[in-house]
Amino acid sequence: MGTVHARSMDTLPMQGRDLGVHPDDLDVMEVQQETKQEILENKDVVVQHVNIEGLGRTKEDYLGYEISEVFNAKNLVDVMKKSHEARQRLLRLGIFKEVEVIIDISEGADALPNGLDVTFEVTELKRLTGSYNTMVGNNEGSMVLGIKLPNMFGRGEKLTFQFSYGTKETSYGLSFFKPQPGCFERNFTLNLYKVTGQFPWSSLKETDRGISTELNFPLWMTDHTLKWEGVWRELGCLARSASFAVREESGHTLKSALSHTMVIDTRNSAILPKKGALLRINQELAGYTGGDASFLKEDFELQLNKPFILGSVLSASLWGGMLFPIGGQPTSIADRFYLGGPTSVRGFGMYSIGPQSEGDYLGGEAYWAGGIHLYTPLPFRSSRGGLADLFRTHFFLNAGNLCNLNYGEGPRAHLQKLAECIRWSYGAGIVLKLGNIARLELNYCIPMGVQSGDRICDGVQFGAGIRFL
Amino acid sequence: MAAPLELYCWKGDWGLPSVDIDCLTVLAYAKFAGAPLKVHKIANPWRSPTGTLPALKTREEGSLSQPSKIIIHLRKQKYNADYDLSAKEGADTLAFVSLLEEKLLPALIYTLWVDSKNYVDVTRCWYAENIPFPLNFLLPNRMHGQQLEKLRLVRGDPTLEPGEEIEKELYRDALECLTLLSQRLGSHKFFFGDSPSSLDAYVFGHLAPLLKIKLPSGKLQQHLNSLDNLRQFCTNILVLYFPSEGRDIPNRKMSVHTDGSDFDNEPHKRRNQILSALFAMGAMLGYAILTGIVTIKRTHPQEALVSAGHDDGGEDDED
Amino acid sequence: MSLAAEAFVSQIAAAEPWPENATLYQPLKEDQILLSDCASSLAVQAYLRMCGLPVQVRCRANAEYMSPSGKVPFIHVGNQVISELGPIVQFTKAKGHSLSDGLDDVQRAEMKAYMELVNNMLLTAELYIQWCDDNTAAEISRPRYSSPYSWPLNQILAYQKQWEIRRKMSAVGWAGKSLEQVYEDVSQCCQALSQRLGTQPYFFNKQPTELDALVFGHIFTILTTRLTNDELADRIKAYSNLLAFCRRIEQSYFDEQDKDGQSGSSRFSKGPSLI
Repeated sequence: MGTVHARSMDTLPMQGRDLGVHPDDLDVMEVQQETKQEILENKDVVVQHVNIEGLGRTKEDYLGYEISEVFNAKNLVDVMKKSHEARQRLLRLGIFKEVEVIIDISEGADALPNGLDVTFEVTELKRLTGSYNTMVGNNEGSMVLGIKLPNMFGRGEKLTFQFSYGTKETSYGLSFFKPQPGCFERNFTLNLYKVTGQFPWSSLKETDRGISTELNFPLWMTDHTLKWEGVWRELGCLARSASFAVREESGHTLKSALSHTMVIDTRNSAILPKKGALLRINQELAGYTGGDASFLKEDFELQLNKPFILGSVLSASLWGGMLFPIGGQPTSIADRFYLGGPTSVRGFGMYSIGPQSEGDYLGGEAYWAGGIHLYTPLPFRSSRGGLADLFRTHFFLNAGNLCNLNYGEGPRAHLQKLAECIRWSYGAGIVLKLGNIARLELNYCIPMGVQSGDRICDGVQFGAGIRFL
Repeated sequence: MAAPLELYCWKGDWGLPSVDIDCLTVLAYAKFAGAPLKVHKIANPWRSPTGTLPALKTREEGSLSQPSKIIIHLRKQKYNADYDLSAKEGADTLAFVSLLEEKLLPALIYTLWVDSKNYVDVTRCWYAENIPFPLNFLLPNRMHGQQLEKLRLVRGDPTLEPGEEIEKELYRDALECLTLLSQRLGSHKFFFGDSPSSLDAYVFGHLAPLLKIKLPSGKLQQHLNSLDNLRQFCTNILVLYFPSEGRDIPNRKMSVHTDGSDFDNEPHKRRNQILSALFAMGAMLGYAILTGIVTIKRTHPQEALVSAGHDDGGEDDED
Repeated sequence: MSLAAEAFVSQIAAAEPWPENATLYQPLKEDQILLSDCASSLAVQAYLRMCGLPVQVRCRANAEYMSPSGKVPFIHVGNQVISELGPIVQFTKAKGHSLSDGLDDVQRAEMKAYMELVNNMLLTAELYIQWCDDNTAAEISRPRYSSPYSWPLNQILAYQKQWEIRRKMSAVGWAGKSLEQVYEDVSQCCQALSQRLGTQPYFFNKQPTELDALVFGHIFTILTTRLTNDELADRIKAYSNLLAFCRRIEQSYFDEQDKDGQSGSSRFSKGPSLI
């Protein structure tokens, strides 16, 4: 009897292997399970064996933590639920291509009448995967070569290497990732990289070569990241016409910094959330561990989302940050804050607010920015779901300020300085969600409170970004 | 003095005894000093004892490849073209050779090896045709890379990219250098009186290729051609010291010239004429068809329209 | 010199007078600057003094990277930045200050040629001794060059620089030379300069030109800089008219200001005296 039910059910978790990816689908799953619960919930069962088949280089002890919960299941529904969770936990490790669950009656000499065996059939990822891309940007072509060694030593370690060879610049990154067995969220990453960035708003070119170690761990509701980074930075002028202020910043510096980030994220989606809040606090201390740069940098990001009438969402964000130089050394142009652009204070040019010299923006040591958005679904859409779900219209009001503080003056003067000359803007536009990582915006903006030296983008502004106000 | 010394150098073309600046310098100096050299004009640097050209095989010091070293060696062998120079003139020689190397040479490298039009149309072509197979696929590119690297190092700018900015800078220096040389030469036959010296060899070596090789983008050439005394200076040396190459200069030059002008102006003009005539005809025809003055096929007038439209588009693309 | 700046030179700069706040940037005088950079910087300072143009000397650890051409010294005048003696001479000329106006065409050609002789032989020899002589590189050049940076950046940058100069030496055909040959080249160059100078007070008679500034910059710096041995300075000391020439320029263009008292920076920037 139990067998029949079990067999009919074990197709359930197999609906798709993307279960872990789309949180929305999860609701659907739960609903289906609820309906069957009435029939099955009283059947007592014992999970006798849990097998994992198809293991190659993966060490079994590493997976034991992930699937041990299945033994605690007391009835069939529980078994299925726990197996389903275990399957998701296995997929999350990023070492299996596919995981299938088979629940069967125990067989053999020691088999109990109500004993069940759960078998996970896994397909491991290849030992080495490579990718090859070519990219063409403005005036530059590049070739990107990526190599990934998932599950290198059999306990979830991952080694990634990316090499980009461009007509102008080459960059590379090597990263080693090691999770703690049994607690995937607690992990360690070691990075080695060289990246080159060009910042036309500052006429600045930056080449960073660095090494960083990162420790991630969850603590109650929050996620924490502790990081040490040692980076050799080479700053240079992007053009010969760069301002003298930028020229003075050119040259080599060495930064060694400890930083800590805390994140609480209860939003249902990172890009177009319907509800929930995000708080991110980041602090960076440079200088005590060596290097030329010494400063303390604090910044935070807060975002609140609330469902509003007719499927619309009201969202409010606040950012702020301060950079304190230590030891009387002036701060570097590469460490200061920048504000403005299509995903921060809209209606202004990219990072084109605040202190500048001959048209090159130098950044500021303190800033704040806030925004209120009303997101509404596209009007005239035919049905729920589909392509239209990726789009929203929004109305926004942004404000912010970026300046340098004289740290001798005290907090009152600082607040006053941050409160005067506020830049703000309002407008409306369309937002497109790109995957679950980025978004595109096309807005009509009206910038206000423009100060001399700011570059504005009056009218239609297009932008893409991962982080947005 | 039994056997004469052996000199390996790039072979000549365009009425030059050699196409390479350093080889020309050495060859000219040897002629000026009256050194009896056995010259191997080759097009395969791998056949040279040092792997580069020029190279002088000597008994005492092995093989030499730098022109200054070769000249010093010849001087030691009593083949001295600078014998009559005063100490001050010797100092001037050193100074003007430095001027050539610092100001003119980078621009010469740029114009022959880096300027993409010149490199693709002339330099690479020549070396690819003359270097024996299979090296001709390998060496021109390698030489190009080496010369670009050299230019970068000499300029002290590791990010140097071929472009208008650097070209302007190099050419400004080079034009000034040419003018200074012309002023220094004045109306003399050679830099120091009536007989040639090592400075004349260096100047000849650097200027002759510029004068004789027909380059598609020839800013430097134009300037050199406007300096009569320098042009005359090079021609004189060619006629006096390299008469065998000089013989085929006139017709060669003529043919090159007509080639060049053909290449430069006429096809453009003619192509433009043809294209504009075609375009005008197409437009008229289109207009005629559109307005119904002419109908091609009574049964399918639309097809005719479409094809006329296509013709127009095609011509626009060609423009 | 930047091309944009050059475009302005002919039109705007000519109209603008030389500003009071013109500044010359060079690497740190005490700990960082190397012989070759010091010589180039002194040459520019001498030139500006000969022109009677005031300039304030500022030492910056990142001067090399601030310079548009990557070479020191450079001057910041108005909103323009110009590096190296040649472009600076052109720039001052556009502003109406020139030392070589009195020369005829042949003399001007000779002057430029001798300037290139100094750049081609003396400067290259200085670079060779600094970076290709292992003793000098290890004891003086690398520690000094990297002094503003912390470990491990100091090692990286010093070796990077040494590598770059060595490749440059092979590009100009100096890689195969021995130290002795380089000293011989220096002698040859000084011989030529001494020959050209003869018994005149300056290279072209009574008036100094940019050539005088350049020769002074290099010879004075070589004579007053301590290296691992004195061979380089000794080679120059063989030419007494060059020594007298250096003293003459030092006295006429550097000494009197030092006595005036506005001095600290200028004496500082020139270094020890010959007399």
